[in-house]
Amino acid sequence: MPRNGSFAILFNTLVVMFMLAPLVIVCLVAFTPENTLSLPGWNWSLRWFRKVFEHPDFVTSFINSLWLATVSASIAVGLAVPASLAITRGNFPGRQALEGLFLSPLVIPHLVLGVALLQMFARIGATGSFVWLSLAHVVVITPYAMRLLIAAMTGYDRSVEHAALSLGASRLTVFRRITLPMILPGVSGGWLLCFINSFDEVTMSIFITAPSTITLPVKMYMYATESIDPMMAAVSALVVGLTAATALLLDRIYGLDRVLVGQR
Amino acid sequence: MPFLELDALSKHYGPVKAVDDVSLSVEQGEFISLLGPSGCGKTTTLQMIAGFVDATAGRIRLQGRDITHAPANTRGLGIVFQSYALFPHMTVADNVAFGLEMQKVDRAERARRVEQALALVHLDAHAGRYPRELSGGQRQRVALARAIVIRPPLLLLDEPLSNLDAKLREAMQFELRTIQQQVGTTTIMVTHDQAEAFSVSDRVVVMQSGRITQIDTPYEVYEHPASEFISRFVGKTNLLPPATANGPQRHIRPEKLTLKPAGQGRSDATVVDRFFLGSQWLYHLESPLGPMVVVQVNDGSPAHAPGTVVALDWDDATLRTLPEGSR
Ligand SMILES: Nc1ncnc2c1ncn2[C@@H]1O[C@H](COP(=O)(O)OP(=O)(O)OP(=O)(O)O)[C@@H](O)[C@H]1O
Ligand SMILES: [Mg+2]
Repeated sequence: MPRNGSFAILFNTLVVMFMLAPLVIVCLVAFTPENTLSLPGWNWSLRWFRKVFEHPDFVTSFINSLWLATVSASIAVGLAVPASLAITRGNFPGRQALEGLFLSPLVIPHLVLGVALLQMFARIGATGSFVWLSLAHVVVITPYAMRLLIAAMTGYDRSVEHAALSLGASRLTVFRRITLPMILPGVSGGWLLCFINSFDEVTMSIFITAPSTITLPVKMYMYATESIDPMMAAVSALVVGLTAATALLLDRIYGLDRVLVGQR
Repeated sequence: MPFLELDALSKHYGPVKAVDDVSLSVEQGEFISLLGPSGCGKTTTLQMIAGFVDATAGRIRLQGRDITHAPANTRGLGIVFQSYALFPHMTVADNVAFGLEMQKVDRAERARRVEQALALVHLDAHAGRYPRELSGGQRQRVALARAIVIRPPLLLLDEPLSNLDAKLREAMQFELRTIQQQVGTTTIMVTHDQAEAFSVSDRVVVMQSGRITQIDTPYEVYEHPASEFISRFVGKTNLLPPATANGPQRHIRPEKLTLKPAGQGRSDATVVDRFFLGSQWLYHLESPLGPMVVVQVNDGSPAHAPGTVVALDWDDATLRTLPEGSR
């Protein structure tokens, strides 16, 4: 294995620091005893964390977001797997058009989508519906799964599937036992990317969430427009902590490398 | 009734005739090689037999049953792909067991047969490894074990040795032949290497732009090629002027020519260049008959230096004339 030069190490350290600095700061601010966004000195306090749990609507919106991201990421990947299989393998007219269609939400501003969906939801009476909100998220996050899956599937050796067929496997068995395990890194990576994008989505969601379906980022945005106090930092710190804990847990159980990068 | 019968089989891609009117009868237990230059339709023919390419016209019959349009997963053939096509996420043993699992062979029997197949290709010690942990030759042998463990009536090999180095390749050719004889499976192997086709097959099928141009034993293909193209494809050849004014072209293989001291042969010739091949010397000569290529066994005596004048001689029985109008 080639050793990294000292310059490469320095460079990477700087990049990681640059990316982590805001997270570290926000987590530190969360422990402040003051009423303003400030770094805690020697006095650390949990008062803002307590305050978060005094706002049950924050907890509800967090659970909403988790559900929404889980459901829409799963639907998005469920759609993206067959679609990218067809696009990378198929030999039918309109393949390119199909790919363009699936990736097009990437170029539409979420603001525009939000306004458009707001009107549509009002018309069909879908305001406040969790299902329709999920579908809206599916539209904007599917391209991320598509990109990853198409990358995972191009250059994939079809003769491996042919070998399984020749050994007597049915098409379904070939998909379950051969194709799926081979594209698993693309599937799991795509799901994760979708989850994060859904969890993070504000611009469109602001227009189409109702009080019953409000998501955490929308809730935070609305709270922050009214008052700026360290509670926002505490919410952020909680999300960061939960994410890190989940990543650690997954790594312990499955090995993130294996699931996201593949075995080779 | 032949074991496998290809009857006027064709595959056209638009105007491209990848395979054109191919007919072939294979007897049970035979080892057949499909030999031909790149793009002549060997893989397409094999893929039609395997069921991955749908024939445009013609029929394929296996043991009397018409399988022309049968789905690939109902044919029960053993296939070794050029790229090995091992399942990367399964161990060697699981790769080999996959076909038995599909046949619903019970666990104990499965384990026994996997072990047996791996022993046959000398890989019993590597059962627990993943394909990525094996060398090219070992992967090759896993692919072979995976194909033969299901006891297929017919084994299809697509350039199975093309990625191996010369030494391993020769060892594998020998092994392939031994295994085929032990198991007795009818085998069709695609190759563009004439030495490989000759050393392992009972019969060689020569293909050229989608068509079969000769079917014969390796010896016959080499000694009595059906055309000048085949003659040159399977070896080197020298053209001799016709014996009579309107007689046919005569050919002679380089190893059938002998070199004698100047003046003692049928024609004198000057050595232009010589190449050392280990067991043989290869000479390029200039003679009144035209340029000549001669191969002589390296018997330890000193080679003829370039510029030396020698004499060419041959036995008339080794001269070949090619069928009229062949190319
Ligand atoms: N899917 C396809 N579409 C169009 N033409 C094709 C297709 N597959 C093969 N061909 C053409 O059919 C011909 C035969 O191809 P094939 O793969 O059978 O050759 P081959 O004898 O196996 O050659 P090689 O030794 O290079 O593997 C070639 O001219 C090839 O370009
Ligand atoms: Mg080929």
